[in-house]
Amino acid sequence: MKLKKDSIGYVVVFTFIVCVAFVLLLSVANQVTLPQVKANQNYASHYAVLAAFRLADSSTPKSEIEELYASKVKELPVETSAADAAATRPALAASAAYSADIDGVSFLAVRITNPGLWGPITAILAADPAAERILGFEVLEQQETPGLGGRIGEAWFTEQFRGEKVNSDGRVIVAQGTGKGDLNPENSRVDAVTGASRTSDFVQILVAKALAAVKEIGGSI
Amino acid sequence: MSPGRKVFNEGLWSNNPIFVQVLGICSTLAVTNNLSNTLVMVLGVTFATAMGSFTLSLLKDLIPRKVRMIVQVLVLSFYVIIVDILLKAYQPAISKQLGPYVGLIITNCILMGRAEAFAAANKPGLSFLDGIANGLGYGWVLISIAFVRELLGFGTLLGLKVFGEGFTPWTIMVMAPSAFFLVALALWAANIFKAKAEAKAKVSKPKAPGTSALSGAASPAPAKQ
Repeated sequence: MKLKKDSIGYVVVFTFIVCVAFVLLLSVANQVTLPQVKANQNYASHYAVLAAFRLADSSTPKSEIEELYASKVKELPVETSAADAAATRPALAASAAYSADIDGVSFLAVRITNPGLWGPITAILAADPAAERILGFEVLEQQETPGLGGRIGEAWFTEQFRGEKVNSDGRVIVAQGTGKGDLNPENSRVDAVTGASRTSDFVQILVAKALAAVKEIGGSI
Repeated sequence: MSPGRKVFNEGLWSNNPIFVQVLGICSTLAVTNNLSNTLVMVLGVTFATAMGSFTLSLLKDLIPRKVRMIVQVLVLSFYVIIVDILLKAYQPAISKQLGPYVGLIITNCILMGRAEAFAAANKPGLSFLDGIANGLGYGWVLISIAFVRELLGFGTLLGLKVFGEGFTPWTIMVMAPSAFFLVALALWAANIFKAKAEAKAKVSKPKAPGTSALSGAASPAPAKQ
């Protein structure tokens, strides 16, 4: 029997079958790779916390990350509340908090998510409990423009925060500089990404919120 | 010339998606300031175009005309999401760097262009080759542009330092306008070269009566009725 391809019945049935078949295949692919994706996310999160605490870097073997995390990092309980409450309680902006003793000195880190230019930016910031000096900063997730704002995840950008002094307003300024990175830790300032001033502004806000969260958590323990 | 060879010749050169069809320009501007991102984008586009064209060519006799484009988008999105899933699972670092651009491969006009212009009228094997050829044709132009942009914009190639500390990065090369300039230069150079080659061919081999000089942009093989 010759199929009447333009009949409404054929169009509906064909479209339905094609949609179901491809969606089914995608679901299978998603389910098959899900454990690997979750393991990657876990690894990325633990590595970012260790890197922010300066307990790991790109030369650390992948196999040692989980062991290092378990032995050096302590996960702290965090309060959760509505987003608007974070305006009065900075610690509520943090979705996770961590502590680590490094050479006998205690440091705190928070995981914080804040809007970026195209989507949320999630980062880990470690500092002393009084939030006077940043220990390290790592970008975990971002959806900024690849090659422009997306460069906030690159080492040259995040390295600038290492040991950076926080100014009296509780901020570190992210502003246009030479484009090569500001490695002076005493000026409370880092170089913005050239061509991505909006993303750099969002990072400045995120860092200020993270510092406020560290300060509040640090004051309560 | 065999059909396969003709398809490759057209995708890589005489009907190149970038400087003849002027397709896929958005991603050319977006990702070419970094060579490794460009390589991944090229692989993603080549895979999605080839597999999408192959699948659509297989289904072409069953697809009703009324929903032709909907089915094309569905099939092409399927392969783009597969690329995204595979990158997230097995290349998380690159997936993180490319961010939303992997999903945006579906908006690359090369995919729909080849599905509509070639796969809808040709056999699956040849459509697959056409997808590969167009992906590679898109790829070599993008990689050339990325080479210049990363080298001058960052002083690196694939993230490895090429120039010493004294090198001053050309900031403009990191930004989108430089891709406009470089794409325009590539278009200009390719068209000059092609015009010269055609003029030379005309002089050395006079055209036989009743044959066309160039195949149509969208009809590299005879359409199957």
